[in-house]
Amino acid sequence: MMSFISYLLNGLSLGSVYAIIALGYTMVYGIAKMLNFAHGDILMVGGYTAFIALNSMGLPIPVAVLVSMAVCTLLGITIEKVAYKPLRQANSLSVLITAIGVSYLLQNLAQLIFSANPKSFSSFVPLKPVKLAGGQLTISGETIVTIVTCIIIVTGLVTFINKTKAGQAMLAVSEDKGAATLMGVDVNGTISMTFAIGSALAAIGGILLCSAYPTLTPTTGAMPGIKAFVAAVLGGIGSIPGAFIGGIILGVLENLAKAYISSKLSDAIVFSVLIIVLLVKPTGILGKKIMEKV
Amino acid sequence: MAALLKVDSLGISFGGLKAVDKFNVEIEKNELYGLIGPNGAGKTTVFNLLTGVYKPTNGQITLDGDNITGLDCEAINKKGIARTFQNIRLFSQLSVLDNVKVGLHNNHAYSTLDGIFRTPKFRKVEKQMDERALELLKVFELEGYCDYKASNLPYGQQRKLEIARALATEPKLLLLDEPAAGMNPNETEELMNTIRLVRDKFDMTILLIEHDMKLVSGICDRLTVLNFGQVLKQGLTQDVLHDPEVIKAYLGD
Amino acid sequence: MDKVNVEKQKIFRSNLITFGMVIAAYIVVEVMMKTGNITSLLKGLLVPLCIYSILAVSLNLVVGISGELSLGHAGFMCIGAFTSATWSMLMKSSSMPEGIRFFFAILIGAVSAAFFGFLIGIPVLRLKGDYLAIVTLAFGEIIKNLVNALYFGVDAKGPHFSLEDSMHLNMDGGTIIIKGAQGITGAPKNSNFTIGVILLLIALFIVLNLINSRTGRAIMAIRDNRIAAESVGLNITKYKLLAFTISAAIAGVGGVLYAHNLSSLQALPKNFGYNQSIMILVFVVMGGIGNIRGSVIAAVVLTLLPELLRGLSDYRMLIYAVVLIFMMLFTSAPAFMQYRERIMTALHGKNKGGKEMD
Repeated sequence: MMSFISYLLNGLSLGSVYAIIALGYTMVYGIAKMLNFAHGDILMVGGYTAFIALNSMGLPIPVAVLVSMAVCTLLGITIEKVAYKPLRQANSLSVLITAIGVSYLLQNLAQLIFSANPKSFSSFVPLKPVKLAGGQLTISGETIVTIVTCIIIVTGLVTFINKTKAGQAMLAVSEDKGAATLMGVDVNGTISMTFAIGSALAAIGGILLCSAYPTLTPTTGAMPGIKAFVAAVLGGIGSIPGAFIGGIILGVLENLAKAYISSKLSDAIVFSVLIIVLLVKPTGILGKKIMEKV
Repeated sequence: MAALLKVDSLGISFGGLKAVDKFNVEIEKNELYGLIGPNGAGKTTVFNLLTGVYKPTNGQITLDGDNITGLDCEAINKKGIARTFQNIRLFSQLSVLDNVKVGLHNNHAYSTLDGIFRTPKFRKVEKQMDERALELLKVFELEGYCDYKASNLPYGQQRKLEIARALATEPKLLLLDEPAAGMNPNETEELMNTIRLVRDKFDMTILLIEHDMKLVSGICDRLTVLNFGQVLKQGLTQDVLHDPEVIKAYLGD
Repeated sequence: MDKVNVEKQKIFRSNLITFGMVIAAYIVVEVMMKTGNITSLLKGLLVPLCIYSILAVSLNLVVGISGELSLGHAGFMCIGAFTSATWSMLMKSSSMPEGIRFFFAILIGAVSAAFFGFLIGIPVLRLKGDYLAIVTLAFGEIIKNLVNALYFGVDAKGPHFSLEDSMHLNMDGGTIIIKGAQGITGAPKNSNFTIGVILLLIALFIVLNLINSRTGRAIMAIRDNRIAAESVGLNITKYKLLAFTISAAIAGVGGVLYAHNLSSLQALPKNFGYNQSIMILVFVVMGGIGNIRGSVIAAVVLTLLPELLRGLSDYRMLIYAVVLIFMMLFTSAPAFMQYRERIMTALHGKNKGGKEMD
């Protein structure tokens, strides 16, 4: 029983990381209707920046986190301006390939600068593990911080979107760019802001991920990026609560599958669940059904 | 003689809203029948029900003695109903000729392997298809454009191509959804002649939706007026068009 | 009718150019090999060039002709590779002549990949757009993951499978063929450039003839407008599935070539993972979506590019990425396209404009 709870908590923690990354994915998809394949690599950049800020520059942890977020935000905005914006009217495949190009670019830049050798990432969570049930159950500080951070971010985002003017503008742009422009919404600014928020979240996700799994390489972001993408689709891409639910389900499932079925087949199990969910609900758990008008 | 198309108390609701309710119509063979009504009356929904895009909540559709209620689009086309669309739906990247040849697909068959290995059967059937497609294009004076990409055709020609493609499936009943939409008076005049020609040359039965009253009164034998999803009036064209209730529905009080 | 025939001749000539291009490249390389004018680096790339060309042609059938974004084609390649290599391992010690054995290996690879393509296609093709893309990606990863965990051996009592380890096979002597993550070691190296080119020509023959036939028209009609295609009585599922299955079979053949070009075969992320699928997609998009000849050219150029840049060692993948982004911006961004058009007009005088009408 204790081991089950411990697996579950680890799953929640991993799921929270997926959810944080998936939020960025889903927001960008909602507003730019593009699969930003480079999102996972922004996470990796966030990881390296935090690593340098903390270890090489000796900055205090909160400052290092802020620096990492700032770098990623800038990076996200720049990528959007340079690579994606000119292709806004182009077909979606061209944008997808460009995103893949950006992903290769970031990975190879990181490899040039930091080499392919893994860096051992020191945890950003200074909390001691909590022992419960007479020492039978240990909850690491990372787990607690990750889950709490994720909840704060999701509530914050939902409030931001529903209560602020900027958030409403985001909704408007994702619904209909043309109409939003006519209503006086600054579409370019809103898209930039979305990439900024998504990238800042990726930085947080990267730091939390590396704190829990402390090896950092240029391809660290690739698989979590794909998993977060899966989580976003599972929950219904474009939906913020969907990304949260999808991320949590994915993380819990992955950890339980590893523990109880097969550690080798956990990925296959996770992906199978995605397929089954999409076959039952073709637009994901919270996705909207779209009918084509004839 | 029994009617070619018999629709009995057809209805559909979308989430409680009855978009079409108790719709009845009987169309005789070789008739040119008009379906009119104000915007949002449910005319296109009737077309979508007849062609299987939507499944009716209740009612029955009989075509030439066959009950076709609830079949899907593909099956209904094979039973003999072909249509055009209000917002033109061509195979935009294919040539004009190929658009018609796709219409000929089911009645001129050879297997995929015949196609890959270029068998004599492939050559023979393809030749038949080319000839037949050109014949159809000629009716609509489109044969000169046969190698154009469909999306590069001017608007009026696109509408005609859609009709040619529908006719290629050798239907018993042809449904035209606002064929004159976006056309100038000259083009509409020309279209009226083409529709009459199609009826006579192909011995076709045609049901059309139209807002252009000149076209409707010019070529339709009988009309049904739809208002708020229900039949308001049915009968000979001139009688219906002069009916005070119909005028009221169009012009308001 | 004249116009129709002119159009037919145009297609015929275009297909001839495609085949001619491949054959000419083959002859040039053969002459270079005979005269010893070829680097060992290029020699090692000859079979991979065929493999990637075949895969690009295969994926273009799905992405360009059928209009569905698939990110799982490496999975079909993986199935073709492992089934055919297993067959070759089983028959290695039999008296079957090598040529016939490899012929069957190709057939087995193609049929098994087609079978999985069909099975996966049934549920997947109900989905649309990006959802279809992610599910094909998921299937590709599942296949890679399962093959990685698979143990397979044969003894006197017949075949044994396990997803655990070699102990669970409960073998009574016999030989273990697939050893989980270690994959298959010692499959015969039957692939060579000539066979690769022949298979590429066959793939081109099938795909190009398919496109220009009744079936191909139906597939493209469904791509252009699904609802209109239904309204003229086309069976949507049948044709989508057909395109997907044929494409999977061809990808499987690419896998057969791959498996018989190496002494050890493993299902790694870099050869059968989503990264590989994406790389093939890059070939298709760079070569022009729906342009089969373009796919072959892009596959060859983009496979050679990183190798030609080898002198720049660390920077080569970086340059590759930059080239990718700039190519996309240059070919697809409206601003760039207008700029390009202005240059073209300035160079050629008035733009002929093809068959646009006003």
